[in-house]
Amino acid sequence: MGIGPSTKETSMHHFRDPLLDVVSADEDIDLLGIIIVGSPDGNADKLLVGTRAAIWAQGMRADGAIISADGWGNSHVDYANTCEQLGKRGIPVAGLAFHGKNGKFVVTNAYLDAIVDFCKNKDGIESNVLGENNMNVKDCRKALAMLKLKMRKSDAERGV
Amino acid sequence: MADIDLGRLVIRAFDIKSVSWGDEMKVTPQGEMIISKSMLPDLVSSMDTIEAVDIRLIQPDEHDQWTNTILDIIPISTKALGVVGEGITHTLTGVCAMITAVDTEGKQCHEFGSSEGNLKEKIIFDNPGTPSSTDVIISFDVTLKAGMGQERKGPYQAHLLCDRFLQVYREQMKNFDGKLCSARNEFHNISRPGKKRVVIIREVAGQGAMYDMQLFPHEPSGVEGGRSIIDMGNMPILVTPNEYRDGILHSMQ
Repeated sequence: MGIGPSTKETSMHHFRDPLLDVVSADEDIDLLGIIIVGSPDGNADKLLVGTRAAIWAQGMRADGAIISADGWGNSHVDYANTCEQLGKRGIPVAGLAFHGKNGKFVVTNAYLDAIVDFCKNKDGIESNVLGENNMNVKDCRKALAMLKLKMRKSDAERGV
Repeated sequence: MADIDLGRLVIRAFDIKSVSWGDEMKVTPQGEMIISKSMLPDLVSSMDTIEAVDIRLIQPDEHDQWTNTILDIIPISTKALGVVGEGITHTLTGVCAMITAVDTEGKQCHEFGSSEGNLKEKIIFDNPGTPSSTDVIISFDVTLKAGMGQERKGPYQAHLLCDRFLQVYREQMKNFDGKLCSARNEFHNISRPGKKRVVIIREVAGQGAMYDMQLFPHEPSGVEGGRSIIDMGNMPILVTPNEYRDGILHSMQ
């Protein structure tokens, strides 16, 4: 659930998910699958499940990951940790999240440099309007382009 | 290296042209849908957190009306062949289901921000997660018993009630003649050896009450047979692209 109606991702959203459409259609990408990870209430659990997701990605020998969150604030704690756990394992990560004015990251780290803010509300707020602050195709294309850049940079640094 | 096809999913869409009240629950591949409230009393009495349910048919020119907070927008789909993620799915276009909920004390079913108000101002239509502006919305307005909107069981039963109602239509949709569909889409899980290996990670709600997700329902975007991400410890689960786009996730919001 989005923390607030405007970031909520409905069952319909998952059925017509733009992120999957964009990534799966890209012929330069070998899409390994979709990892669904919950955002628990407790802090220790948040760190645990995000770390497990990163270990999955590493075990799958992912060259890169795109991560999204359907909420903000509380959900950004897990989100930032999962990005860090991926980054620490040498997996370039780009992502999509709601920030606007009232959803800045509550925690931060060195691996949050390619996050697309999908806030659409003109005042940058959680507006309580269903569907207003959801990702669209343009956001997803941007996130994928940022990931491609990071993967290329990572290859260059490793001399691949 | 050549691409490898790891699996196929066919989604046939049947465009619904009219949704109206009647004495029976019926849907046809030609695009007629008839809604009856006859099974609601039995459904309500089978759910111990639910006080009452009303169904409204909201036509595209009737968005100027009150709504309680919106829990979910749900496509109406069923498996005609195979299981979620493979085989053939029949889905309806031109219509979708919406669940709203409030309790008997007037408290909206939400934790942080709610979307009650005038419907036309509370939904951005034509987004991936919202109805098209031309859709007929079958609105399930659930009244929960006092305080049940903030317990896991309340919103869960609201979703389950809607799911069981829709199942009557799904059973008819399974037998639709595929040749009568208005659109046919074919999706493949494609492996592209040698290309950049990318995984998508979707962080979803698992904090409790309505902050929950149902995975692995029997029907696309369904509830029955599913498992809660909370009950699975919020642990990461891997699904295929076709499972995802066939509705293996149901938002319990």
